[in-house]
Amino acid sequence: MATVTATPGHQAQNTDAWLTIAVVWHALLCVASLGGTFWLWQTETIAGQSWLQTLLTVLLLLMAAASGLAAPLIIRRDHRGRVLSLVVNYLGFLVCFFGAWHVLGIFSGLNDLAGTFGRGIPFLFAVFIGYLVGAFGDRFEDNPAQQQLFQRIGRIIMLVAFVMFLFAIGLVQGLIAIAGRIDGPLPIALAVGSVLFATMIWVMWRQPAADAMNANNSHTEMLNGYLFLSPNLLGFLVFFAGPLLFSLYISFTDSDAFSTPNWVGFDNYADILNMSIAQLDAPNQPFSEVMDVSTYSEMTRFNFFGQNIVIGAEDRLFWLALRNTIVFVLVAVPLSVIPALFLSNLLNSKIPGMKFFRAVYFIPSIAAVVGIALIWQLLFNATIGYINYFIATGIEFTNQILGTAIADPQIRWLSDSRTALLSVIIIVAWQTMGFNTVLFLAGLQNIPKDLYEAATVDGAGSWAQFWRITLPMLAPTTFFVVTMTTIQAMQVFDHIFILMNPPAGPNNSTLSMVLYLYQKGFQRFEQGYASAIAWVLFIFIFALTFLRFQRERASAYEG
Amino acid sequence: MKSIYRLLAILSLVFFLVGCGGAATPTDAPAEEEAPAEEEAPAEEEAAVEEEGVEEEPMEEEAATEEEASEEPAEAAAASGDGITLRWRTRPDNQAEIDVYQNVSDDISSAMEGVTLLYEPGGSETSSYQDVLKTEIAAGTAPDVFWIPGTDVADFATRGLIMDLRSMADATEGYSDDDFYPGPMEHLTFNPESGSSGEALWGLPRDVSTFALYLNLDLINEVGAPDPRELAANGNWNWDTFLEVASATRGLGSDIFGYGQNAWWGPYGYWINAAGGSFFSEDRTACALNTEESLAGLEFEQKLYTDFDVAVPYGEDSEPPFLAGKVAMFQNGRWATPGTRASADFNWDVVELPDGPAGPSNWLFWGAYVVNAKTEHPEEAWNLIQQLTTAETQGKIAELGANVPSRVSEEALDAFLNFTPPENNQAFLNGLANNPATEGPLWAGSWPEYDATMGPEVQAVLTGNKSIDDFAASICDEANKAFN
Repeated sequence: MATVTATPGHQAQNTDAWLTIAVVWHALLCVASLGGTFWLWQTETIAGQSWLQTLLTVLLLLMAAASGLAAPLIIRRDHRGRVLSLVVNYLGFLVCFFGAWHVLGIFSGLNDLAGTFGRGIPFLFAVFIGYLVGAFGDRFEDNPAQQQLFQRIGRIIMLVAFVMFLFAIGLVQGLIAIAGRIDGPLPIALAVGSVLFATMIWVMWRQPAADAMNANNSHTEMLNGYLFLSPNLLGFLVFFAGPLLFSLYISFTDSDAFSTPNWVGFDNYADILNMSIAQLDAPNQPFSEVMDVSTYSEMTRFNFFGQNIVIGAEDRLFWLALRNTIVFVLVAVPLSVIPALFLSNLLNSKIPGMKFFRAVYFIPSIAAVVGIALIWQLLFNATIGYINYFIATGIEFTNQILGTAIADPQIRWLSDSRTALLSVIIIVAWQTMGFNTVLFLAGLQNIPKDLYEAATVDGAGSWAQFWRITLPMLAPTTFFVVTMTTIQAMQVFDHIFILMNPPAGPNNSTLSMVLYLYQKGFQRFEQGYASAIAWVLFIFIFALTFLRFQRERASAYEG
Repeated sequence: MKSIYRLLAILSLVFFLVGCGGAATPTDAPAEEEAPAEEEAPAEEEAAVEEEGVEEEPMEEEAATEEEASEEPAEAAAASGDGITLRWRTRPDNQAEIDVYQNVSDDISSAMEGVTLLYEPGGSETSSYQDVLKTEIAAGTAPDVFWIPGTDVADFATRGLIMDLRSMADATEGYSDDDFYPGPMEHLTFNPESGSSGEALWGLPRDVSTFALYLNLDLINEVGAPDPRELAANGNWNWDTFLEVASATRGLGSDIFGYGQNAWWGPYGYWINAAGGSFFSEDRTACALNTEESLAGLEFEQKLYTDFDVAVPYGEDSEPPFLAGKVAMFQNGRWATPGTRASADFNWDVVELPDGPAGPSNWLFWGAYVVNAKTEHPEEAWNLIQQLTTAETQGKIAELGANVPSRVSEEALDAFLNFTPPENNQAFLNGLANNPATEGPLWAGSWPEYDATMGPEVQAVLTGNKSIDDFAASICDEANKAFN
């Protein structure tokens, strides 16, 4: 009996000891974080990178605060101390672990493994052969000796081949090289840090610790939930929200990506949006006579109730890009959605072979943009392209048959500012239509059939059924399709970038917002300015989407 | 235990299937080596081709290319242990060029004691060579040595992205700026602080090139027009005789064109320069597109599209119709030769550009090997770019026919001249000899900004959407904004 009761007591002592260690650990962590913060503002190592300094300071102070708070809570055996401790140690472990990977070049090694993988394919095939040999032994269930012989041979083949595979792709050599790199203070510190943080996670995660900290099932479930959520949540914070906020900061600087950015406040936004209006004495009065051409460029001039007006903008190309983008959206979205709606109704039929056609229309959506753009570039070629060839042939045929004299328009699809954007719209609509069709098809399948049956009984024709049942019932799908297609259209870039040469097209007729952003950010390296454009674009898209949501909500209530 | 082997087998099968899918992807350095640049860069070429947007077909072989190009050196680098590894990059146009550069890299690598070279061919259909390069520089992952087009030297130098090699060059026995064509060296030795040439050294020119007219001799013979090569030999090759040949061949059919060019600054720059005009003022600190001479050149070119109607519509890629046998005279640089050799199934040759009202004119295009300002091995990098520009190396590359050696060397030029067809290789050298305007960086402003302003405006003129007068009235107001 004494032994039975002694074990929990011993375990409790152990747990108390571990929790005391955890308290010391967090106290040390708190002091170390504060010391690190102090060092950050003393060292020259990251001088000039104020954003990095600020970010690290915030993180270290958070770490210090969390650790400083965790220690007394653990002493009081408050379950919140356990939660704080786990969070701090988990994040600390991730930073140290992946930091060590980075410092040791493991990410680069993984990247290189993708390159050397091809060398190992024959050995993988040999592994599979080994498995087949082993599996062949199962045919001799009545002869165990023979069965074991085959299985043994199979295993040897598999093991040898797999080891050779690891050598062939360079994994073994890579691991040896990585092990050789653990010599400097930083890799060692990160490795030790990983082990310590992992140990403390283990200490606090154990059930005895949970019991000692008065954690109940709901606390455990919460921790489990956040643990499973953490890959996605951390990925979102690090790879999406982080860069997003960083770009916001950059948009208030004159960053060129190479030198230390200077804070310029709202200058970038002012430069983007700055416009001026002036009255002209005559319709053809030179722009330079009414506005300072060192600042403004002429955007447009027009007659307004007998007054000649000219509008100048500091960044004319931004407004041009905005106009092109809006035109693109206004034309491309209906062309991507309306045909998809009708097509989905056709493809919703139950006639034989319809699945094949569904696949056919979907193919452009999954095809690579580069390939598509290059093929369409050839098709659109004004001199030797197939589109103009078919137009010319058709006109010639018509003229011969009908005796007309229709002239071949010889459309310069990509080199005429009137048709260049249209060419891009045609490609994008063609490519997007298939995906939208599938979405509409899914929506159609959800419409109850009895509605159509009742309408048929009431004498409604096909058109009336489509207009009175299908369209209203598809409203949520239509809303989703239109919203997503609009957002995608607002960000059109890759089709234009590949199709057009130069990408901005004739007379900048295909200059879109994202293309302009790219040119500013990655060709002229005005990253601060480009970030500001990105935020203006974001606000524009957000406002548009918000309005659509509001309208949809209002119509839903009305409905 | 059995389940472990089963798992192993299933994993292997999955790996195998995945591997089969990825077998065509690049295979580079073993795991222990630092990853070479992950990008597959651009559809850029010489500055010229970048602008021109000629999509070189060999880029489809990009993936295989990198595999073959970098696998062996990477292994060598891995084996070299403590030695210095230098990464260098250029922008080849096709697999043959990549192979030559790889061989050059291997030869130099074996000759440079303690240094292992990793050659990285840059360029892809979807990204710009310079864009990717600059992004890598910003991220600190750019190669030690790389090629850039001549127009970009100022941008890279003034941003502090490339190293001034002057002090090392001065200490190098046998090195002389005079060994290279003076035009590129004037820009490459320019000191932006003092505003004088000869004081800095931003790199060494890899190659030079000029424009020529690629001739479809079958079309010219069919219509009985004078042979431009003979006209040039007799000193009668000028804008009038050019127009005569272009108009005659245009008469062969509605789908046959007398002349073709692509939409970037080089081709229209020739017409402006040959009329006595220029993009910039003489000291390159202001726009000169609105001078009488510049406008005269542009107006003549405009008429080729409008009044005379002899040219492939401006903005259309003229190379495909030329290779399809539908263009009599196609203005392009030496870089178009390999593609023409591979694809043209008609008789063709080249001739120098016709003399304009101001006499002979052409561009001297060039690009340079430069050293990353953040390289850890500047001495070795300087040594490398010297090795990359020796007469022997340039001769090897010139044998490909895609470019003209930048070093004034008989050995290198002989290799170039012996590469036929085209028979009339001398046309390119004549272009270099006869008053070429050197493609140059814009030290006093931003060339990309200037080009972005000038290109659409010129296009508007050449497509008939803007009159010469309207162009003259506004172009320099806008273009001058590109200057500091």
